Amino acid sequence: MSLALVARSATNKRIAATFARRALAPRLARGAADTPYVPGGPVYKGSVNDPTTFPPPNKVHGSHHWAFERLLSASLVPLTVAAFVTSESSYPMLDGLLGVSLVMHSHIGFDALLVDYLHPRKFPLLGPTLTWALRATTVGVLAGVYQFNTQDIGLIELIARVWHA
Amino acid sequence: MIVARTVGLGAALRRSALVSQTGRPLALRNVLSKRSIQTQSLPPSAEEQILNSQRLKRPSSPHFTIYQPQLTWIASIANRVTGVGLSVLLYGYALAYLVAPGTFDSAHVIEFVAGLPDAVKYAGKTILAAPFAFHSWNGLRHLSWDMGKFLSLKGAYQTGYAVLGLTAVTTVGLVMM
Amino acid sequence: MQAALARASLRPAFATAARPARAFASSATRAQAVPADKPVLEKTFKIYRWNPDEPDKKPTLQNYTIDLNQCGPMVLDALIKIKNELDPTLTFRRSCREGICGSCAMNINGQNTLACLCRIDRDSKDSKIYPLPHMYVVKDLVPDLTLFYKQYKSIEPYLQNDNPPADREFLQSPEDRRKLDGMYECILCACCSTSCPSYWWNQDEYLGPATLMAAYRWMADSRDTYTAQRKEKLQNEMSLYRCHTIFNCARTCPKGLNPAAAIAKIKLELATE
Repeated sequence: MSLALVARSATNKRIAATFARRALAPRLARGAADTPYVPGGPVYKGSVNDPTTFPPPNKVHGSHHWAFERLLSASLVPLTVAAFVTSESSYPMLDGLLGVSLVMHSHIGFDALLVDYLHPRKFPLLGPTLTWALRATTVGVLAGVYQFNTQDIGLIELIARVWHA
Repeated sequence: MIVARTVGLGAALRRSALVSQTGRPLALRNVLSKRSIQTQSLPPSAEEQILNSQRLKRPSSPHFTIYQPQLTWIASIANRVTGVGLSVLLYGYALAYLVAPGTFDSAHVIEFVAGLPDAVKYAGKTILAAPFAFHSWNGLRHLSWDMGKFLSLKGAYQTGYAVLGLTAVTTVGLVMM
Repeated sequence: MQAALARASLRPAFATAARPARAFASSATRAQAVPADKPVLEKTFKIYRWNPDEPDKKPTLQNYTIDLNQCGPMVLDALIKIKNELDPTLTFRRSCREGICGSCAMNINGQNTLACLCRIDRDSKDSKIYPLPHMYVVKDLVPDLTLFYKQYKSIEPYLQNDNPPADREFLQSPEDRRKLDGMYECILCACCSTSCPSYWWNQDEYLGPATLMAAYRWMADSRDTYTAQRKEKLQNEMSLYRCHTIFNCARTCPKGLNPAAAIAKIKLELATE
């Protein structure tokens, strides 16, 4: 009786172990390469005890970019005021300055949008495509604004006259 | 043993273990043979793989759909949306002028706008003036934060309401201009 | 007769001696008594549920209705009551129940806060409880904070100084010490980081308010000499500069701290150094 019991429990154990091995075997065989790191995904780089890493330091993408953005935004304040004050008459210099700074300001804004929502690390095809498309568009826009400021009445006068049309 | 404890058999096992010392080992084996869960020894390297397979099934918790609308982030989103709206207009017009300067020159644009009914003119002015006013005032708010001013929560809210008030006043002023 | 007299004269003395004891006993009985006369005040909690044992089932909101007059005042009390009396499978983290451990951080009625510091609204409206936003869910209200801790570790949150004073403690002026106020109190509950839209979209690269305030806490420490190295690490597009000064972090912090201000100061110092 007791022998039979021991035998039964031993068989149970062996069957269970085989099942467990079968269930786990493919998973173990696949190795870590099968669950690669996905940016923002639930699988992380390194173990839970490894700190996250930093990109290589570069002030152009860091504090210089930030400071340039702020100085540009701040310079838009007097330019906008000047545009309102001089809207009755034409100052090509002011049109040129405002055109360039507004386009740069817009470009940085669009670029922040792409970095925030469509970063190349998450969208390897769409991200870079849109980044380059934005650069090309901005060049085109700069050309268009230059054309309008030199061949036509200039941005400030256009806005003033459309407003009162 | 952990399995036994979780199903509340700990006491029974202990009792049977005591009994087995006095010559009745059967009871213990009987209980053990009924265990439905078996353990298997795995190498430590398997740990991460098992964890990752669990991680891949995890849902991401809901975010902006359930977060309370607050002046803080609604104003931030509004800043972005108004900026993008105005910039799209600038980009669109500049490109259009570059491609077809004959169609989009100032004379045609002014003529087109002048021909619109008054209601459309005022609606259009409001649609342009409100984002411009908000983005300008909120831009000043951001610049003051970047210079280290109004950085408290109270400051953020006071300047936020000030921006909303100034936006309303400026929008009316610009539309009436 | 004499004995009777003695008893009579003793009686008042006994009575006065016994009164405080009796008074104490009755007040104790009063305190232990169940407030049976309190009316039932029902409140429904809608709680986010997801079970890793059934991973294919979509997360759902489950309703639990409890009597607020039989419950403590805080949301954590309600959660514990639900777990004890209605559904033992409801899973959430909790420990200190007094806002110092940061375990019970969750999204209650749309705001990230600590359940133990959040009073239950005694109105009849349903209360919604979600895990911290945009985090991977381990189970029910338990989010996976692995990345959050890995990021905290990445900023080396400890004093670094190659020339410590040889024979005594670090000295610090009261002014220098005061610079750490409002930062060292952070309990790393992750309420702020998970309230930040920038952290929602880019949490794998952007450090988030909690970690950045911890970074500034060590930059601002007069005893730490690695400020330049700490700053250099943040000189990239993602780690720091995804902060757009939204202020959700300061708005939601259950400890009343201001990560937004700390991050703004880092940006200003990086730009002016």
